[in-house]
Amino acid sequence: MSAREHRAVVCLALLCSLSTTALPSWAAETLRIGAIPDQNPEKLNRLYGLLAQELSQKLQVPVRYVPVSNYPAAVSAFRTGGLDVVWFGGLTGVQARLQTPGATVLAQRDIDAKFRSVFIANTQSGLQSISSLEGLQTLKGKRFTFGSESSTSGRLMPQHFLQQGGVTPNQFAGGRPGFSGSHDATIALVQSGSYEAGALNEQVWTSALKSGAADPNKVTVIWRTPTYVDYHWVARPVLDKRFGSGFTTKLQKAILGIKPTTANGKTILSLFAAEEFIPASASQYAPIETVGRQLGKIR
Amino acid sequence: MLELRDVCLTSRDSPRLNHVSLTFRAGETIALIGPSGAGKSTLLSIANGSLKPSSGTALWQGTPVHQLPRRQRRRIGTLWQDLHLVEELSVAQNINCGALGRRSLLWALANLLVPLERDACMTCLKQAGLQQDLIDRSVTTLSGGQRQRVALARLFRQRPDLVLADEPLSNLDPALVQDLLNTLLRQTPTSAGDILASTTVVCLHRPDLIDRFDRVIALRDGHVVMDAPSASITTKDLDVLYRASSEGRRAAPKP
Amino acid sequence: MKRPVVSAPLLCLLPALALVPVLIVVGEGLHGGGFETWWRFLQGAVQPSKDPLLLKSLWEGLQVTLATALVGWGLSTLIGLLLGVFSSDVLWESAKIPTWPAAAIRSLLALPRAIHELLWGLLLLQVLGLHPWVAVAAITIPYSALVARVFRDQIDSIDRRRLTAVLQSGASAPAAFVSSIGPPLQPILLSYGGYRLECALRSATLLGVFGLGGIGTELQLTLQSLRFAEFWSGLWLLILLSVLLEQGLTFWRHRQQTNPSQWNGVSVLTMTVLAVLVGGHWLQQLLPTSGTTLQLMLPPLPDISALQLAATELPWLRMIEQTMRLTLLAAAIAIALPPLCLLIFPGRIAKQVFLGLWTLQRVLPPPLTLLMLLLANLPSLALAALALGLQNAGVMGRLLVEGLDQQSPGTMKAIEVTAAGPRQAWLLGCLSPQSRSYLAYGAYRTDVILRETLVVGLVGGTGLGWMLIESLSSFHWAAVLLIIVCFALLTLAGESISDGLRQRWLRTPGESAST
Repeated sequence: MSAREHRAVVCLALLCSLSTTALPSWAAETLRIGAIPDQNPEKLNRLYGLLAQELSQKLQVPVRYVPVSNYPAAVSAFRTGGLDVVWFGGLTGVQARLQTPGATVLAQRDIDAKFRSVFIANTQSGLQSISSLEGLQTLKGKRFTFGSESSTSGRLMPQHFLQQGGVTPNQFAGGRPGFSGSHDATIALVQSGSYEAGALNEQVWTSALKSGAADPNKVTVIWRTPTYVDYHWVARPVLDKRFGSGFTTKLQKAILGIKPTTANGKTILSLFAAEEFIPASASQYAPIETVGRQLGKIR
Repeated sequence: MLELRDVCLTSRDSPRLNHVSLTFRAGETIALIGPSGAGKSTLLSIANGSLKPSSGTALWQGTPVHQLPRRQRRRIGTLWQDLHLVEELSVAQNINCGALGRRSLLWALANLLVPLERDACMTCLKQAGLQQDLIDRSVTTLSGGQRQRVALARLFRQRPDLVLADEPLSNLDPALVQDLLNTLLRQTPTSAGDILASTTVVCLHRPDLIDRFDRVIALRDGHVVMDAPSASITTKDLDVLYRASSEGRRAAPKP
Repeated sequence: MKRPVVSAPLLCLLPALALVPVLIVVGEGLHGGGFETWWRFLQGAVQPSKDPLLLKSLWEGLQVTLATALVGWGLSTLIGLLLGVFSSDVLWESAKIPTWPAAAIRSLLALPRAIHELLWGLLLLQVLGLHPWVAVAAITIPYSALVARVFRDQIDSIDRRRLTAVLQSGASAPAAFVSSIGPPLQPILLSYGGYRLECALRSATLLGVFGLGGIGTELQLTLQSLRFAEFWSGLWLLILLSVLLEQGLTFWRHRQQTNPSQWNGVSVLTMTVLAVLVGGHWLQQLLPTSGTTLQLMLPPLPDISALQLAATELPWLRMIEQTMRLTLLAAAIAIALPPLCLLIFPGRIAKQVFLGLWTLQRVLPPPLTLLMLLLANLPSLALAALALGLQNAGVMGRLLVEGLDQQSPGTMKAIEVTAAGPRQAWLLGCLSPQSRSYLAYGAYRTDVILRETLVVGLVGGTGLGWMLIESLSSFHWAAVLLIIVCFALLTLAGESISDGLRQRWLRTPGESAST
């Protein structure tokens, strides 16, 4: 090999190694945010598109929204590093934090500290308003649907309250409950009569009533659950290493700083159905973990 | 009985027929001869209604054959060169295919489970000259001669008045040829119900058996070139028929 | 009276009896409330959404799905071909080496084959995280093993005398192998290769339904939130793509068959390589992975005591029983429905209508069909079987029509001129000659359906599939592991049964029918 060829090979090798080191570092600048797909994708796209824009402005890093189509996928993506910051439900957040040691709880909405689910029924099912936990027994033998199998407000807490009221899932018609997949689908399926009753997130129910997606002549609330704690923002532990020290705190401040005073902030908060974001801590979610373990959703 | 009136066929993949007019009269046995490619099979297909002529008509007692009601169509039976047995089925089930014109779809379905009307099948089997213990065999296990007999038994089951047979003898041993001709052409019953049909038209590849028939029709290149009682045909006529065609082909090869 | 023997053509139709209980259950489950939803659903078909933003995202999804299918197909065909060659006895024999490595490769390949691509997808998602290549890998792994098996069977069934002759003439072993095995392998490379591409597109869509990206994800999310107009925009796009692909492949196959040349095989291989390169580049363009390099992130592996605990907790008997019932019902529907439709409506126009309908059934992933049916029906195992059966009926139907079109019309003509009615003539003249190969394919399809029960189980709340998604969403790895093993065992058992049946149907009819 001549000296010139030799140099060429060395240069090429250098270039190759450079490009391999450059590739991840160039890309690592993007902050990937995600959310559990609890509502219709069009709304999620709009909401998180705006949010990504807002956060990018405040943090001076590119922010990209990565859509995920089911709950466990969001948890796994968080664990494996596909998502950096995720808007989790109570259960999925606990699952994610258990699988990703060091992950931090950043914030929750004002409504999340005292969250509720509603039990709804088709008006032709003959189901009456329920006033106590024991009243849930009237649901035995009825066709009943939850939302997604990993949803806190659409499955975990409703199942927990049902159990307290003495109803186990195999006592529904057909020996098992349905899983509609999302809160919107639960409303539609109960309204159409596929299921006689179902349980979902109260906030989604209220906005469905407002938008007209739910017809009060066909479907009504028969019970509101006691309050529990739900949704929260969770961040991966390595963010400070990737974006510089103090980044996680900056991120938390940015989220808490979204206020209805700016136009963007107002839209984002109204899409989140919240007045503001408030600080949250991991300890608040201990009851969810307990219930999750009881019902076998956390191992 | 069956009349072809000025039948023409122009088609790319089958031999053409040119203004053929013929009448098959009741009670006749007819040999249809001619070199290969002369249009013999095409003519039979038009006569049984499975092929529609480009112009002209095939009439069964005055009605165009492809307009015949099912009840009437049954009266024209065909013995195909390739037999076209249903290979997946047993002998009895194949014979029963001859009765489909008189039976419902439900009957056809039930026949696929258990061969129905076994007695009738047995009779047809006997008439066609097959051993009775073959009745439940699958047709694929039979010899060539036996298969031909099954096709014949299917025809017996159909009870046609006119039988059109397309080169039934081409792949048979000489002994079997005589046997089959006896069955095909027997026109006076030896025992009750032994007649296949009053009228029979048989396509022949070779002209050596024409003395068994009443009438001989010769085709060449889609034209009827001869139509006479078999007794009046001489070997010279036949020589001319076959040689002329091969010469003609040599002189003007088809594009 | 003779003992009844169910003949092959009847066996194609008889499974239709399974429709009776299924339709009774489904009929009882119909409810009025659903009709309004269905009406809105059908309105969506006529008036799909034309929102430019939506169309843009659907268009991107469609490209992702197509690119994923192309790469998965190309890789699996290449890898499968290699594995097929190396797992064939002939290769080792030609080199005069003991054949045990071939047998070893074959048994190793049984596992990737036994696990459905969706399961691979969900597992790889756990291990590798959200990454566009997860879907590609999920398709490539089981498909490679499937393709390898088909090629191996073909190679080993080729007449070896030719190879021996070439070897004796002094050629080297590899040269002899290529020259004697290559040419007979071409037709299968052509027809099976094209078929796998269609399958890959279906799989890529299905993987999307379960969250691995592409048009499937869009369809699932819009249907689940009942946005029918948006759903139909996506579905129409997908139908268009599928029809174009199917027609293109049919045209291509036809051309290669009418002008056979020894370059056919080479051109298929070139296409697969191109598919990998172009599709891969395309995928990279569509989904910049922004730095996520593929890395193994194994979830905590369960220990023995956890496995034992899970084994006692799981309702094995019920899960397996439901899975088997689902398989049999769906297979019966898939096999019997196409011939039944054509028997009842034997006309030419009806055939075109059915072909269109079957295309729709093929395109729509079963979980989505099930979700659609659920809009107006109560959930039941019968409904899940119907959804699964309908998609496979779409595949079987096209195959049946293709077979019928290629078959010589002689028997049909012969039966017609006995004055049989059009239905009887179709039954005996068309279906009967086709029945054995149709049943043989039906046996293979049943095997596929068993794998696919997973897919509707995930939605319908039945069988092993449901238990699996529940365990996955609880991150209960012990249960996940056990269910996968159980499912793989079931699939392997099903595969050997369906192989036996297929051999039986493909033998000459006399051997089995008269016994």
